Amino acid sequence: MPQNETITDIGLDEYKYGFVTEDKPVFKAVPGLSEDIVRQISAHKDEPAWMLEFRLKALEVYESKPMPKWGGDLTTLEDTLDQIYFYLKPQEQMERSWDDVPQEIKDTFEKLGIPEAERKALAGVGAQYESEMVYHSLKEVWEEQGVIFDSIEDGLKNHPELFREHFATIVPTADNKFAALNSAVWSGGSFVYVPKGVKVDIPLQAYFRVNSERMGQFERTLIIIDEGAEAHYVEGCTAPVYTTESFHSGVIEIVVKKGARFRYTTIQNWSNNMYNLVTQRSIVHEDAKMEWLDGNLGSKLTMKYPSCYLVGARAHGEIMSIAYAGDGQHQDTGGKVVHAAPNTTSQITSKSISKGTGRSSYRGLCKVYEGATGAKSNVECDALLLDETSRTDTYPYIEIDENTASIGHEATVSKVGDEQLFYLMSRGVDEAEAMAMIVRGFIEPVAKELPLEYAIELNRLIELEMEGSVG
Amino acid sequence: MAQPLLVIRDLHAKVEDDDIDILKGVDLVVEPGNVHALMGPNGSGKSTLAKVIAGHPGYEVTSGEVLFQGENLLEMEADERSRAGVFLAFQYPAEIPGVTIANFLRTAVNARAGKGEETDVFAFQATLAEKMALLKMDDSFATRYVNDGFSGGEKKRNEVLQMAVLEPALAVMDETDSGLDIDALQIVSHGVNTLTKADKDLGVLLITHYKRILNYVKPDFVHVMMNGRIVESGGTELADKLEAQGYDWLQEAAAGV
Amino acid sequence: MTQFDFGVFAGGLSEPETFTTHRARAWERYSDAPFPTKKSEEWRYTDISKVDFDTFVAVTPTEALDANLPADVQEVLDQSGERSGIVVQRDGRVAHIELDPKLAAAGVVLCSLQQAAASHAELLERALFAVTPTAAEEKLWTLHLALLTGGYLLYVPKGVELSAPIHSFRTISGPGVLTATHSLVYAETGSKAAVIDEFLSPDLDGEALSLHGATIHGDANAKIEYVALQRYGRGVKHFSTQYIAAQRDAQLVTFNVALGGDVSRSEVNSRLLGPGSNSEMLALWFGDSKQHFDHQTLQHHAAPSARSDLLFKGALTDNASSVFRGVIRVDVGAQLTDAYQTNRNLLLSKGSHATALPNLEIKADDVRCSHGATIGQVDDDQMFYLLSRGLTRQQAERLLVFGFFDEVLGRMPMEGVRERVRHAIEEKIGL
Repeated sequence: MPQNETITDIGLDEYKYGFVTEDKPVFKAVPGLSEDIVRQISAHKDEPAWMLEFRLKALEVYESKPMPKWGGDLTTLEDTLDQIYFYLKPQEQMERSWDDVPQEIKDTFEKLGIPEAERKALAGVGAQYESEMVYHSLKEVWEEQGVIFDSIEDGLKNHPELFREHFATIVPTADNKFAALNSAVWSGGSFVYVPKGVKVDIPLQAYFRVNSERMGQFERTLIIIDEGAEAHYVEGCTAPVYTTESFHSGVIEIVVKKGARFRYTTIQNWSNNMYNLVTQRSIVHEDAKMEWLDGNLGSKLTMKYPSCYLVGARAHGEIMSIAYAGDGQHQDTGGKVVHAAPNTTSQITSKSISKGTGRSSYRGLCKVYEGATGAKSNVECDALLLDETSRTDTYPYIEIDENTASIGHEATVSKVGDEQLFYLMSRGVDEAEAMAMIVRGFIEPVAKELPLEYAIELNRLIELEMEGSVG
Repeated sequence: MAQPLLVIRDLHAKVEDDDIDILKGVDLVVEPGNVHALMGPNGSGKSTLAKVIAGHPGYEVTSGEVLFQGENLLEMEADERSRAGVFLAFQYPAEIPGVTIANFLRTAVNARAGKGEETDVFAFQATLAEKMALLKMDDSFATRYVNDGFSGGEKKRNEVLQMAVLEPALAVMDETDSGLDIDALQIVSHGVNTLTKADKDLGVLLITHYKRILNYVKPDFVHVMMNGRIVESGGTELADKLEAQGYDWLQEAAAGV
Repeated sequence: MTQFDFGVFAGGLSEPETFTTHRARAWERYSDAPFPTKKSEEWRYTDISKVDFDTFVAVTPTEALDANLPADVQEVLDQSGERSGIVVQRDGRVAHIELDPKLAAAGVVLCSLQQAAASHAELLERALFAVTPTAAEEKLWTLHLALLTGGYLLYVPKGVELSAPIHSFRTISGPGVLTATHSLVYAETGSKAAVIDEFLSPDLDGEALSLHGATIHGDANAKIEYVALQRYGRGVKHFSTQYIAAQRDAQLVTFNVALGGDVSRSEVNSRLLGPGSNSEMLALWFGDSKQHFDHQTLQHHAAPSARSDLLFKGALTDNASSVFRGVIRVDVGAQLTDAYQTNRNLLLSKGSHATALPNLEIKADDVRCSHGATIGQVDDDQMFYLLSRGLTRQQAERLLVFGFFDEVLGRMPMEGVRERVRHAIEEKIGL
């Protein structure tokens, strides 16, 4: 098992939080996937019968579906799947207050650079550590308002009806192979409910890390924003550097009801051996507004296409994303908007940077059904290539069955312009800084939407990368 | 007299991938505090000279030398030249989307300060506000992205603002007057005059196609460039003569090498 | 109906042996290749699983053809401007060829492919038989080669310029017919070629199948204008696969116009093989009733410093549908590439629908590439303006569609070609 060590001297293309903490699993299933494992997980979680049934059925679906042939290269994934642990639970008990949180985990937060002050300011920190929520606190005022911010397991236990009403309705088991896998073995994640008319000002934040070699992480998050409510959920993941491949496959389901507003911000910086295959989907009702803000910086391969199903009149969906593909990385990301009601609107803004042998692909769908009169959608994707060996692809699908719809898609590919570089240098800025400025400027339209700590982290990363890119 | 600011001796230069020199033996000396106007027809090499002084990587010096305050300018990279005190106001400034003018200029100012001595955000804001007031510019200008979506006039004013903030010893202004209407021209000229008044040692090389700007910015010397060389030098009367008679009367001088 | 027997069919043709060999090889490949299905990206939106290829008959030429120009061809020629030559193919067989004697004297060759197999064997080998179709086109490409009865070669020698186009016609006489034809255009160094391939038929009382291939090759500094003007009557399903190769500094313009048929699919592959080469790719389509148009394009930059610029525009009314799938591919090392791709769609009716898939695959960093796609309707303000001048809604709509198309027409360099296409569109949209 991983030894307790700190990597102090980090190379430019390595993950900068490349430290590990001691691994203390309480329960660890055997590697690989079987009906037994699924039964064990369900029993361990003390789940109702319907959930066990649901899991077993999902396992069947998973096994019946072939590996996707599109997107990234998944050829070595099957071997990986035989070796990973599908369930891991570090501690029996859910922690209730900050004092009870083990020092080791507090240290982890320390290293992740979450400032003390901010931790206090955060209303509820749901931290997922080795597949489970270990710490969870919620401001009293929210509890009074009826806001639920729980682990997904507690959501199932404590709010069975609300849970069952929405669970797997947005991402059905059979949606795709990895949604099926997640449905069979899900563990950890958040359950959020914001009642009618309640406005949550401070973002709900969940930090989590994967910390065990060959361990799969199958988080499942269900978020319900009731009519007229408003909230912002922030999730970031960081992972230590390991040499063998790792796998993460989450499912995020979101319902934004009539007139509600919701933003989901996530930034992933998995280590460069991670397969990150995530299904993120939202259903957006009448006059509601859903925003995805998605940053993909790490992993070996990410396949993630946040989506908005606009099912109510005047619903609005927005997907903003930044992808960074360094050496050996493939970011296959994008977004989906489905217009199924009149006067729905959507906007996709995608910015990608490829460096070294990195490859970033934009894959998107804009679908307008007949009857979605006056639907409007606009897609902009811009790719920046930093090296001769970098690669970028753009694969948008635009399917329009409604003649009153108005759809636009624009994509550009460029490199850092020589004239831009010279201009900045002629003002005394050195080449690496000039490059970093141009790259930061390139992602600015999306980066400015990020929470401050993420924006700073992103800037630091770009600076580090640029120092390595000029002679 | 003190050491000259800029000395150019028999400078030859060409476009990187080309064979033929565009500059074919330029000689020029600029003393501190002097304004030199460099005039000449299209294609005479004026803009090439400006870019070579600033260190544009697309041009190659084939022979000759350029000394700035006694130092060999040609050995320096573009950013080093800038930090040494050379400023080029571009004819066609590049657009840098996503980077605000304030952010950009603070980085440029800090690049001069060296490690540990960076100007803090608030001190810089104050300096920038002061310079903008000096040039009669609106506050909102600082929060716009560098040249992104600027009109021709705005781009040129942005160049003058940068010159004011970076306080160079030598300003090379490459056709800063081109494409400006009379109002914009007056604003830009006012800016240049304000800066030369504030810094008595500022040397200016004003490259222009037309005499118009010289009605507002009074040069100490006027030079004419043709066919890659300076073929005639004089005072403001030379500019008047060029306006009245054009460049034809200099063809002979230009042809003789 | 009796089973189609390839051996009998091939035996009935009198042609050079090399041709027969290639034909047999193509038939073998056709028999082995899987049928295109909606599971592939290229055929995802066009379902041809119901097209029963066996019910169509590739006509074995037994009787001599009437060499006189058919009335419909004559009518078009009367309306058209200057031309350098004429090719007429009826039901897939070459019936008439004429070429300006001055050009013939200058070495220009215009002949049937069967003749070319004897006189220009090496050229056919290199420019036609060596073409490797994409996996998606394998089935239809090999079928068209195996059943090829028509087709022509236009060869323009070094430095020779055509000042007016060759006007080629393909007609289909009735239902049940399968035509397999090919256009091979080869322009040598510094030459200039221009061709209009026009596809004609009356509205049919049943189905007919048109398989068409084109190989357009421009040597160094050559200029080619190639137009495929598809105005078949109803009942025809048309499949065209075009391979375009541009060597150093070659300037190629291709223009696909789809107006007729029930289903019309064109795959246009442009390969930029030499530095300084330029490929302009243009297309227009106008669909009504239940017409379905499918355009698949590739701008493949295999050499540095080349340029490609694609503009495809379509307008649909009634229950018509269209697909555009375009790929810009820039190889490793193809620096200083300029590649642009624009697809614009107008939906004029409730039942019409359009799909756009503009793709980029970029493996070099010093490039300027962009693509854009829009799907929308006629601008309300423009419509109101025209209505307020007394036009009916239909008149206004057609006028606006014509305006929408004009940008593409304006990019055709040769006046005569531009006029011919403009006229054909006017006829279709009834302006």
